[in-house]
Amino acid sequence: MESVIIADNLIKIYHSSTNNVKALDKVSLEISSGEFLMITGRNGSGKSTLLHQLALLDEYDSGEIIINNQKTSHLSERKRMDLRLRGLGYIFQEYALIGELSALENVMLPAMMLESSKEAKAKAFEILEKVDLREKCFRLPSELSGGEQQRVAIARSLINSPKIIFADEPTANLDSTSSKKVLEIFKSLNKKDDITIVMVTHEPEELAYASRHIQLADGRIV
Amino acid sequence: MKSQNRLPFYLTLKYLQRGKKWTLFLTVFLVAIAFVNLLFISSLFNGIIKGTNEQIINTMTGNIYIAPKEGEEFISNKTKNVNTLRSIDGVIGVSAQAQLPARLEYKKISGNWQVLAIKPGDEAQVTNTSQKMIAGRYLEENDEDGIILGQQIAGGDGVEQNAFSLKGAKVGEKVKLIFNNQSYEFTIRGIFKTKFLNADEQAFITQKAFEKLLPEIDDKTSTIIIKVANNHDEDTVISSIKDKNIDGNVYTWREVAGLMKSVSESFSSINVIMTFVGILIAAVTIFIVIYVDIINKRKQIGILRAIGIRPYIIIFSYVILSAVYSVIGVLLGTAIFFAILTPYFIAHPFQIPITDVVLALDKVDFIARAEAVMWVSVFSGLIPAAVVTRTKMLDAILGR
Repeated sequence: MESVIIADNLIKIYHSSTNNVKALDKVSLEISSGEFLMITGRNGSGKSTLLHQLALLDEYDSGEIIINNQKTSHLSERKRMDLRLRGLGYIFQEYALIGELSALENVMLPAMMLESSKEAKAKAFEILEKVDLREKCFRLPSELSGGEQQRVAIARSLINSPKIIFADEPTANLDSTSSKKVLEIFKSLNKKDDITIVMVTHEPEELAYASRHIQLADGRIV
Repeated sequence: MKSQNRLPFYLTLKYLQRGKKWTLFLTVFLVAIAFVNLLFISSLFNGIIKGTNEQIINTMTGNIYIAPKEGEEFISNKTKNVNTLRSIDGVIGVSAQAQLPARLEYKKISGNWQVLAIKPGDEAQVTNTSQKMIAGRYLEENDEDGIILGQQIAGGDGVEQNAFSLKGAKVGEKVKLIFNNQSYEFTIRGIFKTKFLNADEQAFITQKAFEKLLPEIDDKTSTIIIKVANNHDEDTVISSIKDKNIDGNVYTWREVAGLMKSVSESFSSINVIMTFVGILIAAVTIFIVIYVDIINKRKQIGILRAIGIRPYIIIFSYVILSAVYSVIGVLLGTAIFFAILTPYFIAHPFQIPITDVVLALDKVDFIARAEAVMWVSVFSGLIPAAVVTRTKMLDAILGR
């Protein structure tokens, strides 16, 4: 299988006035197309930091990340943003929806960067149908449950048809039923739509959904 | 077609539609109050300046003042000159005034005041003294022994300069006018109060009475004052007067305003300083309010960046939002100013010793202040939005 993400000797240091913390210490990793990779580890092990680097939401101190054969270390912020917009989807633990926008508007927003609002809206309806939220698409985030908000966030991450989705503990704030629903969506996206999924989790029982899993400790893969 | 270009407007619309209504109301209200404050300070000082200037024109000098040429005591050919002046375009009133170096005496109190001989009808076309009678009546053309006194001459309880006045002279009582070592008895026909101290220290008799006292002065006068129509320019009228070779020196009211000119200029200087301070306060207030509003949306800005919305779109959406705040604020401020404050001050003028002050705002001042508020608002939106879009995305999202 072709590698869609390659991380090579990745180092990330958090600098503060009192000390420097090495959050990632020479992490190297290859993720193949169509994989469902789960990253586990204790709090502070560096798993979310790794996800942020791989999704180009943060800048690492040294090493290299190659996404779809493209080196990213020297990309301008604009090009990184373009890559995120067109090729990567990201799901936050706290859903990160815009409170003033309805479920539909939240989902169509990234697509409005690339196409007409009519096309964006049609696609958003389709994807909300897929995550079983067609009926509630005009509701504001505050009018949705946690599980529903997370499904809106998933729909938003899918709107520009990315080939890779990153999810940072997407079920951490959900009850078991909602968690299962979210994981089933991921499974379906991975199996049916061949989307590569990289997910951070704390829950051992969720590992069953993964095709591979890695564990981090003190910023290293163990 | 991509909707990227419409995205800032789309986002602004959603913020306005679904954002917290209290935040919107409070922000707009504070912008409105800052704008009203700017308008109020300026219009109050403009009102004082305008009121003072109008008092000078309407009670003393007219718009244009003609004095005898250097070395001469009188302007000759009064009748011909007055008729010539009346024929000039823009002139709506001409009054010849003869000044008497006289002394007034009342119940053993006497003093020197400016006594002017006028044609009452002519004078009423230039000054508003005839409308300012607080007791008795104004002079009539053929009155040969009547006099009207300014309140500061008549005196009485509560009069500012009572100590130096006739201390309570009343309508119907007699005063002696001592002139050329001769004493003439006049009856007080009325007392006027213009609120302008210099004007209220004048007394008037008719031209008829003056001619009786001094027949040899026929067809001469000390000064001629001229009223110019509001829609005519004083300088244009002055050059027309100069073209007619009038026998006298022609001045604008500003040149003969004396001390009041300095007072008026001082108010103008204070107005400039207060306007500057007002703009500074308005700028700081508006900046803080909008800055706090946008800084509170730091997480939202981070999320927008994370999902691929370009920074210029995010910044522009907040600039538009701030512009909307300012437009609504300016409209609300304008409504408060013109619908509440201005009518209130017309009904209850601010009383100062020179005049009653109403708010006066000219179009240029209004537009300049509205523009200042709008620019400040736009920068108040631009700066924090630009700062937040430059901070690390994750720091913005995770509130670090």
